[in-house]
Amino acid sequence: MKPTEKEFDAETREHGGRDAETRRRGDAARRTKIRATPSFSPRLRVSASPRLRVFLLWLVVALVLLYGIIYPNFFVFWAALAPGGEFSPAKFFEVFVERAVWEAAATSVGVSLLTVCLCAMVGVPLAFLFERYEFPARRFFAALAALPLVLPPLVGTVAFIFLCGESGILARATQHVFHLKGAPWTLRGWWAILLFHTYTMYPFFYVLAGAGLRRIDAGLAEAARSLGARGWQVMARVVLPQLTPSLVAAALLTFMTSMASFSAPLLFGGGVRMLTLEIYNARQRGDTQLALTETVILAFISLCSLLFFQRYEGTRKFAAAAMKGATRRRAPVIKGRVRVAATLCAVVFTIILSFPVLTLLLVSFARDGSWTTQTLPPAYTLENFTRILGQEDASSVFINSLLMSGLSALAALVWSFVVTSVVVTKERSVWRRVISFLVLIPWALPGTVVAVAIAESYGRENPLTGSFILVGTFWILPVIYFLRFMPLVVRAVQASLEQMDARLEEAAEGLGANWWRRFLRVRLPLVWPGALAGTLLAFVIALGEYVASVLVFVPRSRPVSIAIASAMRDFNLGTAAAYGVALILIIAISMIVAARLERGAEA
Amino acid sequence: MRLTVKRCATLLLLLAFAIMLACKPSGTARRRTLLIYTPHGQDMLRDFINRYKQQNPDVDIQFLDMGSREILERLRAERNRPQADLWWGAAHTTFQTATDEDLLSPYKPTWAGQVSGDSRDPQDRWYGTYATPEVIVYNSDAVRAEDAPHDWDDVLDAKWRDHVLIRNPNPSDSMRAIFGAMIWRFYSQTNSPAGGYDWLRRLDANVHEYTADGTLLMQKLARQEGLVSLWNMPDVRLYQEQKHFPVAYMIPRSGTPVITDAIAIVRGAQHEEEARKFYEFVTTPESLIYAARTFYRIPVRTDLDRSQLPAWMNESFTRMPVDWDLLRRDGNDWLKYWDAEIRGRNK
Repeated sequence: MKPTEKEFDAETREHGGRDAETRRRGDAARRTKIRATPSFSPRLRVSASPRLRVFLLWLVVALVLLYGIIYPNFFVFWAALAPGGEFSPAKFFEVFVERAVWEAAATSVGVSLLTVCLCAMVGVPLAFLFERYEFPARRFFAALAALPLVLPPLVGTVAFIFLCGESGILARATQHVFHLKGAPWTLRGWWAILLFHTYTMYPFFYVLAGAGLRRIDAGLAEAARSLGARGWQVMARVVLPQLTPSLVAAALLTFMTSMASFSAPLLFGGGVRMLTLEIYNARQRGDTQLALTETVILAFISLCSLLFFQRYEGTRKFAAAAMKGATRRRAPVIKGRVRVAATLCAVVFTIILSFPVLTLLLVSFARDGSWTTQTLPPAYTLENFTRILGQEDASSVFINSLLMSGLSALAALVWSFVVTSVVVTKERSVWRRVISFLVLIPWALPGTVVAVAIAESYGRENPLTGSFILVGTFWILPVIYFLRFMPLVVRAVQASLEQMDARLEEAAEGLGANWWRRFLRVRLPLVWPGALAGTLLAFVIALGEYVASVLVFVPRSRPVSIAIASAMRDFNLGTAAAYGVALILIIAISMIVAARLERGAEA
Repeated sequence: MRLTVKRCATLLLLLAFAIMLACKPSGTARRRTLLIYTPHGQDMLRDFINRYKQQNPDVDIQFLDMGSREILERLRAERNRPQADLWWGAAHTTFQTATDEDLLSPYKPTWAGQVSGDSRDPQDRWYGTYATPEVIVYNSDAVRAEDAPHDWDDVLDAKWRDHVLIRNPNPSDSMRAIFGAMIWRFYSQTNSPAGGYDWLRRLDANVHEYTADGTLLMQKLARQEGLVSLWNMPDVRLYQEQKHFPVAYMIPRSGTPVITDAIAIVRGAQHEEEARKFYEFVTTPESLIYAARTFYRIPVRTDLDRSQLPAWMNESFTRMPVDWDLLRRDGNDWLKYWDAEIRGRNK
């Protein structure tokens, strides 16, 4: 039923609920479309999809979830929590009420919530700066701002220690300038963890909000402005609501990453007890029961947060209403002063953000052991680089890592389209919720746990898994990388799809495009920036993955992170830094390639 | 929209190429291979492998160097499909834990009679190789030798308040031994760890920072974030003499616990024959003396010509008698208590 002009106006005045609003927007758009293409029938819905395709999609999703996530995690957890098949809740709660355990749980949640706030405060404005203003070398600085992502945690923390630690460059410089006797600060405790978290995780907000901004239609904001809305009103009522899916996705990723963060609490947590660290300590002591109980608590909190975010996401769904015509891109900034200020802000900020990487570069040229109480390393050498070039397996280490993370990232990309085509649809069913929930489980678990679960499940002859053995083969790491990092891609694609106007695909179908064509010509191009950003994230993070790799890597395909850890254990911090620098170069190159791909897609 | 078919095809091609590349290594011809898990570090491993290959050029030796606790975790994860053949290096307490979990296979080396009874497993599942005494370390730029702590209790002195660095004991055999020994000192008299806990509380009050690993410990010590620490002798020697770090050590006057570093064959090893050969190779008198001279490892074998060893190895020091079995049995609980109730709570 088509509303008349009068009814439509009445509805607009009403400021009715969400349903009314959606209906209004939908109908308004439909009317416009009808005018534009009179032959198009507005009643058409995506319905007659061939059953086989739907069945196959569901089958793939079910198999991956069952064998990748449900089977390994559930049964391993069950076996460990219920030794001998008996689960006693009393014993579980006995552990939970221990002071150290709940203290750790509370600390983890507190740290993670603060991390989300801080990351949003840094990442979102930065995304606006780079997406809204045009200035010289914008692309360069925009890429640079995502730099923290490329710092593998292992290397990043060390760079941080050398930069901000109590005997680091900044502290020594301050000490020198103000003639202080002792170190001006220590890199320890809450603030140190939060600093590192903000630094390494704000890119979730920056990248996803950036991708979101690129998709939203500036025309809406323009319309609001012409209707008399002020700047902040436009921001609060038009821009941010459209960004919500991206922001929610970023907040969720940040929260869960922070919950699972390990390197920061390990290296400069001081007395701060976070769950991940407690799990690690318990495991190292050989206290498997305690470690597992704590892991269950960690996973439980992460998954609860996921449910919470999903709920929130569900109540605020905005499809870009007016996708017709070209979406307006970066508004040219007219006022010179604003532009200069924005440029300055962006550049200064980016330079500060690149300090840890510069520190790493410096350390990679420093002679090991020569740098003690001086502000900067006193002796420099090329030895660190010649050492990694001289060893015959050094270059193969990079090829291994590239290959394994590349494979897993590509698989994750394909998988994300498969899973979202099942999950993101008009009608919401319990199954779809369950699937999008299951998909995120590996992200909620510490890397060690994922690795142990896979190794346990695919390390022995077992008819349940078709006696499929992964342990000791090349494929175990790509599989684990895939499982651990595909939630990133799925989330990114899902956020993009939810922002996409479903009627575009309907229109294509109405015009006679088949499923494949619709996918290639409508869905893929629209989702591409988000999907690419997510895939790149997964790829880059997999490149530096350590905690799971160390448990199951095979000697023939040693990843870079293992080489870095080896160098660090051999006290060759300079060599480790040299590996880190080489890794960052590789990542920078792949980011440039990705940017070109994206630009190609936009053209 | 220029994306689409062309680019998708490129991606698929790339994927196919990657899979081809990935499959290649598994296709290489089978040679005699050997996989060693070791915490001894790359320098030492490469050196020994090169020397071994001079005699056995046709063997392909791979090694994974990881922390000793990481090795234990890996062996657990691979229990049903062992990958490693030989496990070279870790405290005998860790090896004993592995034997309890049935991860090692027995092998009696040719020199089995040349080590004392407490440096070997009665059922031959591991044998001692090197002895690792624990020591007090200090920054030699900032602290004169006569001012440095001479005994365990000196570290508790108020003058070291906020100057002590301690490596996280949970993943470290050395630190576990030191903490265990400190508790054992009191336990042996009172049959209770309470006195030891008090000692650790007083230590905690002096601690500036617990560092995540040995490398950071040494870095921070050299950079004077702290001045005093507890660590093992061979590592400190290595830092002093090869890395030229400003560190020195003091063997505690009242005696120090000595860890036995061990070697073992992994149960279910696929190349057990090769593993045994390498096992024997690294424990010949020549290899042990070489390791002593080059890598500061104190040999456990009793039949060596001690004049061949560096002079410092022949200086006598007091050993602290420790009940290792008790440490292994109760050590985890002690450590758990320390972790929950002592660490960072005594400022």
